[in-house]
This record gives sequence, C-alpha cells and structure tokens, in this order.
Amino acid sequence: MADLIAVGLSHHTAPVEVRERMAMSEEAVKDRLMRLRLDGAADEAFIVSTCNRVELYAVPQNLPLIESWMREHRGPAGEPIDRYLYWYRNEEAVRHLFRVASSLDSLVVGEPQILGQVKDAVRLAEESQSLGRMLGRLTRQTLSVAKRVRTETRIGESRVGVGNAGVDLALQIFGRLDDKRALLVGVGEMGQQVARAMVGAGLKELIVTNRTYERSVECAAEFGGTAIAWERLAEYLGQVDVVITATGATKPIISADDVRRALRVRRYRPLFLVDLSVPRNIAPNVDDIEEAFLFNVDDLTRVMEAGKRDREKAAADADRLVNDEANRFMARLKEVEVGEHIGAITRRAETIRLEELERTGRVLEELDERQRKAVDAMTRAMVKKLLHGQITHLRNAAREGEADVIETLLKPWRED
Amino acid sequence: MERIPYIAVLVIYAVVLLAHLLPSSVPQALRDRVRIVAGVGVLVHIGTLIEGAMFGTWSPGLQEALSASSLGVMIAYLAVAHGQQKALGILLAPLAMVSLGTALVVPNATVTALEDTSTVNLWLPVHLGLLFAGVGGFALSGAVGVLYLYVRDSLKNKRFDRIGRLPSLESLDRIQFRSMLFGFIALTLGIGAGGALATASLQQSWALDPKVLYTLAVWFWYFVALQARLILGRRGRWTANFSIVGFAAMVFSLIGLNFLMASWHAYG
Repeated sequence: MADLIAVGLSHHTAPVEVRERMAMSEEAVKDRLMRLRLDGAADEAFIVSTCNRVELYAVPQNLPLIESWMREHRGPAGEPIDRYLYWYRNEEAVRHLFRVASSLDSLVVGEPQILGQVKDAVRLAEESQSLGRMLGRLTRQTLSVAKRVRTETRIGESRVGVGNAGVDLALQIFGRLDDKRALLVGVGEMGQQVARAMVGAGLKELIVTNRTYERSVECAAEFGGTAIAWERLAEYLGQVDVVITATGATKPIISADDVRRALRVRRYRPLFLVDLSVPRNIAPNVDDIEEAFLFNVDDLTRVMEAGKRDREKAAADADRLVNDEANRFMARLKEVEVGEHIGAITRRAETIRLEELERTGRVLEELDERQRKAVDAMTRAMVKKLLHGQITHLRNAAREGEADVIETLLKPWRED
Repeated sequence: MERIPYIAVLVIYAVVLLAHLLPSSVPQALRDRVRIVAGVGVLVHIGTLIEGAMFGTWSPGLQEALSASSLGVMIAYLAVAHGQQKALGILLAPLAMVSLGTALVVPNATVTALEDTSTVNLWLPVHLGLLFAGVGGFALSGAVGVLYLYVRDSLKNKRFDRIGRLPSLESLDRIQFRSMLFGFIALTLGIGAGGALATASLQQSWALDPKVLYTLAVWFWYFVALQARLILGRRGRWTANFSIVGFAAMVFSLIGLNFLMASWHAYG
C-alpha cells in the first residue's frame, strides 16, 4: 500500500515563536505543494496552515526529500526544529487528521473555525492539483467525519468562562435573552465579564449603575448600555429581569424586601440575580423567595465545572467516533487495494494461460472448432478454480486487516 | 374494539418513548423523526377510533374513553414536542401507553345512559371530542408541571449537571399555562355540550349526577388556577402544583369514580 504520512507542529508541541516561522500564506502553500510534486518528493500532498498548526499530509515518493525540506526551518535561536515535530504514518495519520478537523486537537476543543481552515487547505490542494486518489478520498472522508462529530456529539455546545456560566444559567431560566433587560450594579471585573457575555448572547438592554456615576457612564458606553444614578437602584430592580452585582460594598445592598417589592411590580415573573462580590452584595435569603433565583461566585464556578465535565465527556464520545471512522477508512482503503491486487493476479493468470495455449498452438490447430472451444473453456475454468481459494483468502484478510496474510498470499505473484 | 390496529399504535408509542428514554436503543434515523413517528401513530389512532364509531357497533364505553384519553395526550405531545421540549416524550408517551394499554385489557362496558342507542344524537361526539381534547390539554399541563418543578428544584438546590439540556423555566411555564387554558376552554364547552345532550335525550334532571358534580369541581379548580395567574400574576410553581393535582383528579374521574358511585356516566 502507498504510505500516508503526516508531519507537522502545533500549539501542543511548539511555542508561538516557532509556529510563526513555519506559518505559510495561501500562495506559499500552493507553491510548496507544486514543488513537492515537481521535485518528486510526494505523489500527493496537502498542507494545513493556521496560527496554531502547520501540517503536511502526503503520499511520499521520496521521504528524505520531505525531511530535508522540513529541516530547512530553524527555531528562533537557530536550533533545529526536529524536537517540535510529530510524525504520523498511515492509520495514525488518518486519525490525526480526523481529530484536527473535528476540533479535538484544537486549543479550545470544539471551536468551529478549524473545519473551515481544513476546507481551505483542501481547496488549495485541489487548485494545485496535488490531491490524488488517496488524499482525495481521505479529505472527502475527513469533512464528513468532522460533520458527524459536530452533529452527533455535544462537542461544540459547552462554553468556557465565568461570563458564559452566567449566560447558561440565564438561558436555563429564560430560554432567550433578546427580550430581557439586565442591571449591572458596580463595575467589578467579574460582573463586567458576565454582562459582556450576556450582551454577546443578545441581551435586549443593559443598565449600569455605580457609586461614582462617571464610572457607570464609562462602563455603559463600553457595552452600549444606559447609566443610571446609584440612588435609583431600588426603583430599577422592578424593571429588569437580570441583576448582576459586583461592588466593593461590605454589607448587602439588596435585601429580601427589595426583591419582594420588585417581584410585585413585575407580577412574579422570575428574577435572575448573580452576586459576584465578596463579601456578598445581595442578602443570601433572597434565594428563599420563590420567584428569585440567586447565584453567587461559587455557584458560577460549579456551573463551569459541570461544563468542563460535559466537554470531557463529549470529547471522549468524539474520540471514539473518530477512532471508529479511522479504522473503517483504513479497512476500506485496504479492500480497495486488495481489489487492485486481485485484478493484477487475474490478468497475470490470463496472460500465462494465453501463452501456454499459444505454445501448444500447432496441436490445437489440428482440432476442430468445437474442440478448440472446449479446450479454451477448460483452461479458463482451471485457472478460475485455482485462483478462487486465494482470492477468497485475500478478501477475508483485507476485511480482517491481516497485513501479513495478504503479504504471504501476494508473494508468489511478486517473485514471478 | 379493534385490537390489532390499537396494538400497532401502542407499539408506535413505545418507539416514541424509547427514542426519548433510551436513545441508543433506537436507530438514529428514527430518533431524528420521532415527531413524524408519533404523528403516524396518532393518525392510525384517530382512524381506528373513527372507524369504530362509524362502522362498528359503537356505544362508547370505558375502552373508548381510555383510548380517546391516550389520543388526547399524544396530540398534546405532537403540539409541543420540538427542540428541547422533546423531553416531554418521557412523560407523555408512557401516559398514553398506560391509558391505551388499559383500554385493551379492561372488559368493554358501555356508559349506562347510552345503552339505549336512541338517546345518541349529534351532541354526543361533540361532548366526547371536547372532553377528551380537554384531557389532552390537562395531561400536557400536568406533565410540563412535573418537569417545571424538576428544573426549578435543580436551580434552587444548585444542581448544575444538567444545565442547558433541559427546557428553560419560562418556556415550561408558558406551555403549562397555555395547555391548561386550552384544556379549560375545551372542558367548559364539553360540559356545555353534555348539558345540551342530556336535555335533548334524557328525561330526568342531570344536574345532580355525581360525575357531573365532580367534573364541575375539577372545572372550578382550574378556574382558580387560571384566575390566580391572570389576576394576581401567580405563575411558575403555583401553576405547576395546580395542574399536577388537577390532572390527578381528572384521571380519577375518568377511571376511579365510575366504580365508586352510581352515575349515568358509569360503565354498566
């Protein structure tokens, strides 16, 4: 079988100083693909180049040539880049590509951009006509595996960060944010993170208040919200659906009675409160009110932990799927290859048969038409029956992935 | 009662349940189209009911009542089961299955008042159709109420492992309210149609029949729940508790009541 190799470096193995020296523009990629083929280094090749990875996938013709191209690159201190490189062969290479395209090898696992980048890489290779039968088949399968991973696992769903934990909780209560208003009390860093994430998730309106009015104006301007005076806090409680507090106050600034009053105004529609300050800004007994859902810093941390567990499980599911697909791809590849061998064997046998018939030519000429046909049919049947067992064994071995059996069965035909 | 088509319907509902409960036991293609599967089941179910009414020796009794309740529940499921709300299948499909399964095993018993078929007129199908539409609405409201309480408790007790996988509180609250309102309107009209039916076909006064009184009590219960919400704004857990208790009472009136008290609605 023609070998497949993958060689490259990524954020897992190389620091940014090294990656930026290897990174290639689209033109450089096309140029390199062209040269790999013209130099006789590879029959087929394609290159994935992003800010986090540079990888070459190739069906090599002359491996040392590829190695020497890689060695042309040096690290920032002039050191050889060997130590940053990983090399994969055949099944390993297939699995690696599937993992990369499915975003399992990404810095942020599950991020969606990488699939687009792989598609770009395929397009560049197509334009450089460097995809042949092997890599053409492989790239098609890669895109379909990545799509399966995205639709069949939850890999792309869970998000990271305290802001998104707040959004996840808000969505569990409200289902949507585009008709909701939020009040940010204080301009503490974590409060801003949650507010930013909510605005990003489509929040309808953000209202900001702070003890110093100027800071709330600044902060409101940053998020495209409205600033209100600190004294109007209680009045606004009844007009919003979300309250985020992050002030340096040492005593609660929102009491259970404040919340009860607000709920009466909003006719008991649920109120979502996130208290990110320590000491807490919202009286803890607010959570005892039926329609008030109060969460503090620790709760958000636990939401993030749950999200992390989710991601880990999704990644495990995705890994299983990718492994299955890689095994299946290799098995299919072997079947196709064995099919080619079977074709070659059959042709070789037919040549031998015709040669032998020719050698006995004069004798055959003495036979009449009917007898000649009978001899022809008989030799054909003999060849077929002799080959039948071997071909069956080859097919089975290909299905079972028994490379050594295939090799043994093919050997007599090679020595010919 | 036609058994074969009903058994087929039961199997279809079982597939719907499995698709939600044990997703890995059902092929992906079926899982993606679980609403279509349920829809086919509902169509067969409707067809079987109508066929029985038109060509069978139809005198509606306990079996038909249970079968129609089951149908109402599955129609309610079809109405809301998309996106995350698909999870409702775990609650509604078993309800429909138990109801239809019971219909298949109980002996057929006709409603006493209807044994003399001369009393059957056009008000009867209207009366029955509306009441079982109401049962469907209340079943949905009750099931959603259970789910609402579960999600609410997870949030209040800070259990976060299923965040983002369950329907949101507000959407559940919306569905439990709308389905309760639907059930209430259908029940109100159904009771009215029953009155018209009784006036047209029965000689005695119907107002003191135990089942009528009981149903009026259920009606009042839902009336209070809806008023509390519309006038006082009491929603969420309030509505959920009302709808769960209300549906339990409804189930009792459908099955239990008839065996305890003599009534025209009793199955003779």
